[in-house]
Amino acid sequence: MLCRTRASGLRASAVLVAAALVIAACGSSDDDGSGDADATLVAYTGQSSDYQINFNPYSSSIGGIGTIFEPLFYFNILRAAEPEPRLATNYSWNTDGTQLSITLRENVAWSDGQKFTARDVLFTLDLLTRHKEMNGAGFDGHATAPDETHVVVTFDRPSFVRGPQVLGRIYIVPEHKWKDIDNPATDTLSSPVGTGPYTLAEFKPQAFTYAANPNYWGGAPAVKKVRFLALSGNQSGEQALRARQVDWQSAPVPDVKNIEKNYPGYKALITPLNQMVLATCSNPALGCAGPQTDPAVRQAIYHGLHRTQTNTLAFEGTSSEISPGFGLLARDNAVISSRLRNRVAPMQPDTARARQLLEDAGYRRNGDGVYAKGGSQLSLTVKTVAGWADYITALSTMAQQLKQVGIKLTVEQLSWNEWTSQRQSGRFQLIMDSLNQGPAPDPYYLYSYFFGTQGTAKVGGKASTNWSRFSDPQVDRALAALTTLDPKNTAARQGHLDTVQTRVEESMAYIPVLTQGTVTEYHAAKFTGWPTGDAPYAMPAVWQSPDNAEVMKRLKPVGS
Amino acid sequence: MRYYLRKLTFYLVALWSALTLNFLIPRMLPGDPVDILLAKLQQRGGAVDPSTRRAYELLLGTDSGESLPRQYVGYLGNLARGQLGISVSDFPAPVSSVIATSLPWTVVLVGLATLLSVLIGTGLGVLVGWRRGTWLDSLLPATTVLSAVPYFWLALILVAVLGSGLGWFPLLGGYDVTLTPGWNGPFLSSAVYHGVLPALTIVLSSAGAWLLGTRNMMVSTMAEDFVLTARAKGLRDSRIMAWYAARNAVLPTAAGFAISLGFVVAGSIVTEQVFAYPGIGAKLLQAVQSNDYALMQGIFLVITITVLGANLLVDLLYGLVDPRVRAGG
Repeated sequence: MLCRTRASGLRASAVLVAAALVIAACGSSDDDGSGDADATLVAYTGQSSDYQINFNPYSSSIGGIGTIFEPLFYFNILRAAEPEPRLATNYSWNTDGTQLSITLRENVAWSDGQKFTARDVLFTLDLLTRHKEMNGAGFDGHATAPDETHVVVTFDRPSFVRGPQVLGRIYIVPEHKWKDIDNPATDTLSSPVGTGPYTLAEFKPQAFTYAANPNYWGGAPAVKKVRFLALSGNQSGEQALRARQVDWQSAPVPDVKNIEKNYPGYKALITPLNQMVLATCSNPALGCAGPQTDPAVRQAIYHGLHRTQTNTLAFEGTSSEISPGFGLLARDNAVISSRLRNRVAPMQPDTARARQLLEDAGYRRNGDGVYAKGGSQLSLTVKTVAGWADYITALSTMAQQLKQVGIKLTVEQLSWNEWTSQRQSGRFQLIMDSLNQGPAPDPYYLYSYFFGTQGTAKVGGKASTNWSRFSDPQVDRALAALTTLDPKNTAARQGHLDTVQTRVEESMAYIPVLTQGTVTEYHAAKFTGWPTGDAPYAMPAVWQSPDNAEVMKRLKPVGS
Repeated sequence: MRYYLRKLTFYLVALWSALTLNFLIPRMLPGDPVDILLAKLQQRGGAVDPSTRRAYELLLGTDSGESLPRQYVGYLGNLARGQLGISVSDFPAPVSSVIATSLPWTVVLVGLATLLSVLIGTGLGVLVGWRRGTWLDSLLPATTVLSAVPYFWLALILVAVLGSGLGWFPLLGGYDVTLTPGWNGPFLSSAVYHGVLPALTIVLSSAGAWLLGTRNMMVSTMAEDFVLTARAKGLRDSRIMAWYAARNAVLPTAAGFAISLGFVVAGSIVTEQVFAYPGIGAKLLQAVQSNDYALMQGIFLVITITVLGANLLVDLLYGLVDPRVRAGG
């Protein structure tokens, strides 16, 4: 439920943590569960109450994406690499990006034995066109099939950037089953038929189980059974991990650095992906008010943060550096602009610089050491969610750091619903949040979500993604130009990416904090083949679809 | 007769106002279900672009733009027809089926635990009150301490010692998920086995209050003249304790028990959270966190009806048992 990553992860109160320590002291059972070739992989996504059956990939399903239903290609958002072929083997764009030609894989069968053909792809795309409520991928093309293994999608306008949604986020469903479904948007598919590596073996409110598809085109996976549990949140997930009842989960655990000692047989993987920011309501033209609308204040906060200290105190060192242009470090190294003033946000504070910025903007320090201008103090309120312990700790470290500069930061905790609503309507000065990536390893998507004018609204209205109300004609022009450029044409794209990054750095509408590490724990003594390293073969988080299916496919039981 | 009519009218009015509040309160919560769903999707790494929002609005039908009075009329009409709507957080399951799958777990676990705790607490209370001044009095501070300890803390300690440390009981869940739910031996015994620890914590933490109340009533009843008369008649001690003193002393307990049965449905949130137990408390939490109006309303409706029903039952029974109540109003 709540964000499995950080949100509910560190919700545990001090009392609960203490209880976990008591449990730790009591030790765990002797059974290490390793060395069984028929071992069931038990996964916990953070689901905090019973499951209700729903395997419809277009209707907030509980599972099936990637495991039962496959996309045409798999896009790994952690690696700057070409997408990997799944139900399709090849794709190409025409020169102006209005026509996408797709070659489908041959000899693929649905799990009920019927042959997979281009008609299924056409049917799926047509389904999304006819049912707007299912079209979360925003498909706006027109598809035809010249033969059984080819599909051509045409668009009204250059649509290179729509490619990853069509190729990677549309899950192909069987025409022979779905054509008889009366209401495909709300059907819960109690016996789903797909092409994927797994089929649904059984469903119970407390757990559902996948079984390996023996006729999978890529060969049946080595892990024969995968079970997803329903517990009551990350605290119970932690207990289950200690009792070795769960092999795979993605939620922070106490003392993650020593996981191999605390949880024998387990390992952890930290994946930097979402970029944490202090989002500011930055744009007075759209109704923002407060000291944070002054770019000098935002720059001063940027230079006043002690990121190393925040990382140590609030995140156990699991976070990492961030680029002020929001290219994802490592993955986007090739496109991070050389025109940025800082390629990486400084990890140490520069108090003198921060003060200079404020003084140049007309602020003066008064007796109590806080800056003021026009009689009003430089005092800001930052909103976060009550119970997000890591964010609350991080913000209190930042409040101390900014006090050194002469900026007063007050932390306000809200309920999650309230916070979500205020974030959307722009009723805040600062909020702590993180920026997510799009469907492909390309920073374009982050820029278009969080910096594009079409994603924002006046204060009081609903901004779909651009909470900061940032709006800049130069950035909008660059984003529009990027939609007309083939992603392979890196030279032409770079100029526009440079423009976006430098404008983003100058404006500081979102003040970069750190890149958050998603922590995943896995039972290494029971299964091998887990993702590793800085650019793993898939995002290892158990709740991330379709990436989790990629992991399940590659695992092997130890001793098999 | 007038007494019962008056009572019934009162409960009907109470039910109507509860239903109306039930309609209004969830709508005053900040945020709307689409925002919450999108925020969750986004935090799970989903790519949220403007078309995703439109799709969700259409899918959930939340953007109806209907006026509040019209929604209210529709709500009452649907209730009359037994339709509780579609759950947003468990989309597209109907609220009634969400409640139907989770309610039995809570009713059986918390219901049985409450019953046990009342029986044990009252029984011990009668005994302790009767034998006032003996070593039995030391039960009082012991059980009061258990009641005073925050419930979740007691539960976590028991989990740590009995579940994790000694391995006597499972830590989490309502049953062994490899079994098939239904009327079969292995599943039922697994469900009972998984229920022992949560039930034990409820009994331990609540029996003390019943014990204390009954014991005090017992002590004051024993000072009554009719107990003295019974003694003077030379009746056996056990008969005086059971038929004269205890019978009068447990009257308030009986009323309290009916009311606490009404709260069974609502009072299980913490238990279910600690033990990852499948039940209505966990669903209520989920509904509140997801702005799932329909599910919240459905669960509140169940709570309202059980609380009102239990109270009505007590009122009617009291009228029967105690003539003073009937005449007094």
